[in-house]
Amino acid sequence: MEHQKTPMLELRDIHKSFGDVEVLKGISAEIDKGELLTFVGPSGCGKTTLLRIVGGFTPLNSGQVILDGEDIGALPPNMRNTKMVFQSYALFPHMTVAKNIGFGLKLKKWPRNKIDSRVEELLSLVHMEGLGDRTIDRISGGQQQRVALARALALEPKVLLLDEPLSNLDANLRVVMREEIRNIQERIGITTIFVTHDQYEAMSISDRLLVLNDGVIQQIGSPVEIYEQPANEFIAGFVGYVNFLEGKIESIDKEMKIKYVSTAYGNLELNHNQGDDEQKYDEILLVIRPETLSLSADQAGKQANTFHGVIESFMYAGSLVKYTVKVEDREMIVDQYNPKDATKFQRGDKITITVPRTTHALKK
Amino acid sequence: MAEAVISGATGKGLWYKVRSFLGIHLINIFAGALFTLLAIFLLYPIFSILIMSLRGDEGFTLEFYKEFFSYNFYYWSLFNTLILGTVTMVILVVVGFCFAYLTTRGPFWIRKPLKIVALLPLAAPPYIFAISLITLLGRNGFINNLLNLNFNIYSWTGVIAAQCLAFLPLSFMMIENVLNSLNPSLEETASDMGASEFRIIRSITIPLSAPGLLKAALLVFVMTIAEFGNPAILGGRTPFLAPDTYLAITGEGDFNMASVLSVILIAPCVLIFILHNYVLKGKGYTTIVGKPTAVEYKEIAPGIKIPFMVVAFTVGLLVLSSFGVILLGSFVKIVGVDNTFVIDHVLNTQSNIAIWNSIKVSLCAGLFGAIVGTLLAYVIMRGKFPGRQFMEMIALSGFALPGTVIGVGYIIAFNRPPFLLTGTIWIIILNCVFRFVAVGVEAGISKLHQISIEIEEASADLGADFLTIFFRIVLPIMFSAFVVGFIYTFMTTMMSLSSVIFLVTPGFDLASVYIYLTAQLGELGLASATTMKVIAIVAVSIGILKVIAKKTGLDVSKKQGA
Repeated sequence: MEHQKTPMLELRDIHKSFGDVEVLKGISAEIDKGELLTFVGPSGCGKTTLLRIVGGFTPLNSGQVILDGEDIGALPPNMRNTKMVFQSYALFPHMTVAKNIGFGLKLKKWPRNKIDSRVEELLSLVHMEGLGDRTIDRISGGQQQRVALARALALEPKVLLLDEPLSNLDANLRVVMREEIRNIQERIGITTIFVTHDQYEAMSISDRLLVLNDGVIQQIGSPVEIYEQPANEFIAGFVGYVNFLEGKIESIDKEMKIKYVSTAYGNLELNHNQGDDEQKYDEILLVIRPETLSLSADQAGKQANTFHGVIESFMYAGSLVKYTVKVEDREMIVDQYNPKDATKFQRGDKITITVPRTTHALKK
Repeated sequence: MAEAVISGATGKGLWYKVRSFLGIHLINIFAGALFTLLAIFLLYPIFSILIMSLRGDEGFTLEFYKEFFSYNFYYWSLFNTLILGTVTMVILVVVGFCFAYLTTRGPFWIRKPLKIVALLPLAAPPYIFAISLITLLGRNGFINNLLNLNFNIYSWTGVIAAQCLAFLPLSFMMIENVLNSLNPSLEETASDMGASEFRIIRSITIPLSAPGLLKAALLVFVMTIAEFGNPAILGGRTPFLAPDTYLAITGEGDFNMASVLSVILIAPCVLIFILHNYVLKGKGYTTIVGKPTAVEYKEIAPGIKIPFMVVAFTVGLLVLSSFGVILLGSFVKIVGVDNTFVIDHVLNTQSNIAIWNSIKVSLCAGLFGAIVGTLLAYVIMRGKFPGRQFMEMIALSGFALPGTVIGVGYIIAFNRPPFLLTGTIWIIILNCVFRFVAVGVEAGISKLHQISIEIEEASADLGADFLTIFFRIVLPIMFSAFVVGFIYTFMTTMMSLSSVIFLVTPGFDLASVYIYLTAQLGELGLASATTMKVIAIVAVSIGILKVIAKKTGLDVSKKQGA
């Protein structure tokens, strides 16, 4: 399926250093037409630098930026068909909303009436009809965000670049604008790169995520892949909480469907999926999400895929109860959703944790 | 795909390449051009002075320096200048402290009026006080006649008094700034622990503000020894360096000796610049973060209040009466001697021609100064080439160096090819542009600090090239800084004397030079009337500056340097 799509933007082996510090160590990726790809990673991982390289604001040391078949790596920003929405919005303080939106069109020497009608069209796209004559200091933060977006879209760029566009908004507005940006992006089908340090924002807005750390791509994949099949420990720990558990593959069944794993607290039978490349006797790391575990009152004897433990503490949060369970010498976090209908456990209760067969394993 | 890439690149042709080259390098080209201008109009004149002071008929020589230190006259000149600087400095730190203490901690009714009086001399050229002191205490002076005194104002006392009044705003502004930045709760704590107010001043206020006071003192010292007008008019037979430099050229045509004197004048400036930037850098106590909180009024102990007020009121009265005397002197025949009303002084043709010349020169200097200043600020802030700090330093040096020195540098540097400018109006304009460009640069830099660089990147992103960004985005946003640079250069040029006096040609008088000459000749009515006109023009300029500062929030600390 993937290969049938045409890449709108291709990054080939991009390297970038600031002085002695190498911030991007060979980045290669493809972004499909109409896709929303998010660069995400902790601060200092190089995501903004990578975006600025695509926009032409930061020169690259080596590598290529191919936009729709043309290498644009050496062009200044004003000659690239990519448009950016800046973190600070960078609206021109001495121009009105409409002048800001029409700025790029004016530079392209569009006739006056065409500019006006295009600006109107964009204002209605971002739900700001009738506010074109306002000055920048007389509109709200969310509206400034919309103007910045409209201004970037005015010239119908091939790729839209968004540099942490929601970081200056308060929490509620952030969610609203996130959905709105996604709506507009899907409606006009524009290829988009979105930069954020917020994993949840990245998960909820993207078609695919490109997770960067230390200047290296850790994984590129859909939100589902990133969460359910993380490529390494960093990715697993980057989105959501995870109980890591060391184990060893004792054997794999003949049909290559089940792997038998030993851990310090008991043995597990896990699904062995197509493409899993672990071998017998491999040391592995299990990625156990808190919400995949289930709790039950202690049963004597040992059943498959269970650990025995004691409730150490719990935190009631309405939609879920977060239990901290002591399993021999270590703590595991278990999220029990819909606590209304579930058995509630108290501190000191002896319980059994069941680990699902679908638990993801990383090769060490 | 590969073919498409190639044809895509070649298809856009030469113009495409030129544009993308300019987009990246135009700022560096600008930087190169500006650096060349700075090199020609600031570095080269200073360099010429150094060469001239070391070059005799047979090449390199130290003969002129030997001569300087062996002649009693020059030796005394140096000594007097240093004494003048030291005495003025000490007096002004004390007076400035009295003013600043009262405006920051005194009763509310007194704060605003005292502040206005302390800043009033900014609106006038420094030599206004020489003229007013002569009117009051000269041989035919009002007070001398009234009390039948035989006081001689053409003396040390006169020069020191005039210098103290002229540089009061500088000292006051710096000390007030220091006192404002002290956290009031420190003084309150000391008081809470039982310290008397005198004790608090001695062991809390002064120690905490010591680095700031020292900086103020050093700056007053440098400005005082560089000042030309007051010692030239009031010095009488007492030699001082700045007027002697002028005399060495106009009286004896001795450019070598004038250069030596200039180098001697620069030395303390350089020394203090180094002290200020390297030794005192970072020294000082910031005891308050963010905006200074208003100090609540508490009753100042009478033992402190009364002496402080006596000092401040006496000096304040002198400032006010000086302005009054100038106003009066413009409209009466001779103040105190023949008090009949005359309009002749104000209507004098030569005076008006001089004013008109000054306005023309100042408008040109203001315009060019603002353009160069804005461009420099932009290049320094946004350029990515090495040596930007050096460039900023040169740009600011025009302000720090004594006007006399730059004047001498200009006549030496520009009286022969390749830069033959002597005798033209351009040499005066360029001199003022580069002496005062610092303010435009600083205003521009502070404005650019307020603008996110993303705004420029956004316009590049939307397709604007360097020139479009500069003219459509940067310039409109920086316009307030441009206007500040323009007005500031305009008004300092209006008042400037020390440098331009070397550069004017007979028959082309500037207001400041005309005032100086008429004061020398004892034509106090003409000097007063011309000064009054200059003050009026400067006052209007300050008013405009204030409005801009209020509207744009651009804070340009006023500086003195006429």
